[in-house]
Amino acid sequence: MTPRVGDMLTYLAGIVLAALFLMPLLWLVSLSLRTPAEVYLGAARFIPEAPTLDNFRQILTDGAFGTYLWNAVKLCALGALGAVIVATPAAYAASRFTFRGKGPLMVGILMVQMISPLVVIIPLYRYLDRLGMLESHLSVIAVYMAIGVPLSVWLIKVGFDTIPPALEEAAAIDGCNRADILMRITLPLAAPALASAFILNMIMGWSQFLVPFILLTRDGQLPIAVAIYNFAGSSSASTTQLLAAACLVAVVPALAAFLALQRLIVRAIMAGAVKG
Amino acid sequence: MTGDRRIWLWFTPVLLVLGGVFLIPVADVIRFSFSDATLLRPVTGYGLDGYASAYGDDSLPVILRNTGLFTLLSVVSLQAMGLAIALLLVRGDRRGLWGMGLLRTIVLAAWVIPGIANGLIWQMLLSEAPFGAVNSLLRLIGLAPVAWLSDPGNAMLSAVIANVWQGSAFSMIVFYAARRAVDPVLYEAAAVDGASPTAQFLFITIPQMRGAILVNTILVTIQTLNTFDTILALTGGGPGRATEVLSLNIFNRVFYSYDLGGGSALAVLLLAISMMLTLVYLAVLMRKGTR
Repeated sequence: MTPRVGDMLTYLAGIVLAALFLMPLLWLVSLSLRTPAEVYLGAARFIPEAPTLDNFRQILTDGAFGTYLWNAVKLCALGALGAVIVATPAAYAASRFTFRGKGPLMVGILMVQMISPLVVIIPLYRYLDRLGMLESHLSVIAVYMAIGVPLSVWLIKVGFDTIPPALEEAAAIDGCNRADILMRITLPLAAPALASAFILNMIMGWSQFLVPFILLTRDGQLPIAVAIYNFAGSSSASTTQLLAAACLVAVVPALAAFLALQRLIVRAIMAGAVKG
Repeated sequence: MTGDRRIWLWFTPVLLVLGGVFLIPVADVIRFSFSDATLLRPVTGYGLDGYASAYGDDSLPVILRNTGLFTLLSVVSLQAMGLAIALLLVRGDRRGLWGMGLLRTIVLAAWVIPGIANGLIWQMLLSEAPFGAVNSLLRLIGLAPVAWLSDPGNAMLSAVIANVWQGSAFSMIVFYAARRAVDPVLYEAAAVDGASPTAQFLFITIPQMRGAILVNTILVTIQTLNTFDTILALTGGGPGRATEVLSLNIFNRVFYSYDLGGGSALAVLLLAISMMLTLVYLAVLMRKGTR
């Protein structure tokens, strides 16, 4: 097989794969732009003849969907921020100091990442019920934060590992104290690692369903992922185009964030999977 | 600085958060599993009733079979798909082909879609209504429609397809990184010796990537076992119990049947499987570290 034939086959396979992965999203867009009458035409009307933005207008002017989106942004942003803040000191200590029990501690943190939120949500529901903290965004943020902490510790530690300690030592000789060194030198240099941990946590939080579904029931508090599940439960074949629009509304912010920050995200997945 | 007790101060926030949200609840799940508590009623006594009711339940063999099948099919397909795309990308990069970055972006885009949305999207694609995407396409080209979601065997297949569409990107990234770390000299030497591409794949690529494949297998298995939102939105576990996997069963048991004892007993099983796989993962990582 000549390289040129190989190249053609590579392009062919690439196009088939791209189509396979793109098709579900394109179908979603197609449905969301149709009138109910065109939905019934199925694949024959892949490109709507009379495309309409009415479905989006109906979803977005509902008011409730704006609230769901805002709730999702708020929950996952604060959860992600909390995880990074909590993880950073531990990551710094793990990167810079050697001490007894460090190995088991880091392995323990890694193991927590493998515990399904499903296992802990059962007792958490009971605690929060007793404390009267169900229906509270604060509780959900705290759980998101905890879910994000293990991966954040590892990602940020890898980031700190790449900063030469010599830089810190030089600053210490110049009379900076440890807090100054951290704030002025180490943390700014670790910004890419902090950012990728934050973004990865955001994406995980955006996808979260179980935690808010269990801990929140009041409609005005739900994030978008739970809202579209409830919406799907109340929709029927005649409202498929609205469900498609709602799904798209739920998916587009995550896609946009991903497209803008792809480089950071890919690096974070690699660092997370191939640790050390 | 070493040996200083103050070092643990750096870890205090992490330990408090993980202790409160993970460690204490895990201990409590194990305690609940031996109790007669329901979701809202406190513990009044301890015993093995939860285990007896959960593990003696007629539905459990079906659930475990579903879980095994779903996990096996997903893990094999996720990795095959991830490996295929990764190798394609590496070849494209090497030959300077156009559009490889675009392909990677498209595959990764599916990965950021929330599981619930993923289930709903595939429900619209596989809908058995006359206007469902796949079935209306089949009809356009003159083929008979398929009962994607109402036939038990097909429903399982549909759940796996949805899961693989969304999840392949993770394996792709892991394998892409691993493949690029393989020393190109190996391939050059093999080419000089006249090894065919198939031989190179079998005797260089696969052995060199063995570690990555093993690690990825474990990570993907844990992820697959622990998630159920795609299935919940796609089939709700049906038809009947055809796609009800262990995690979905625990969720239904606790939050719809209020059977906290039984749900906790099964959660302990899920936890035990995850932790065992994690230990294997750690053993693999450490062996790699010492080599």
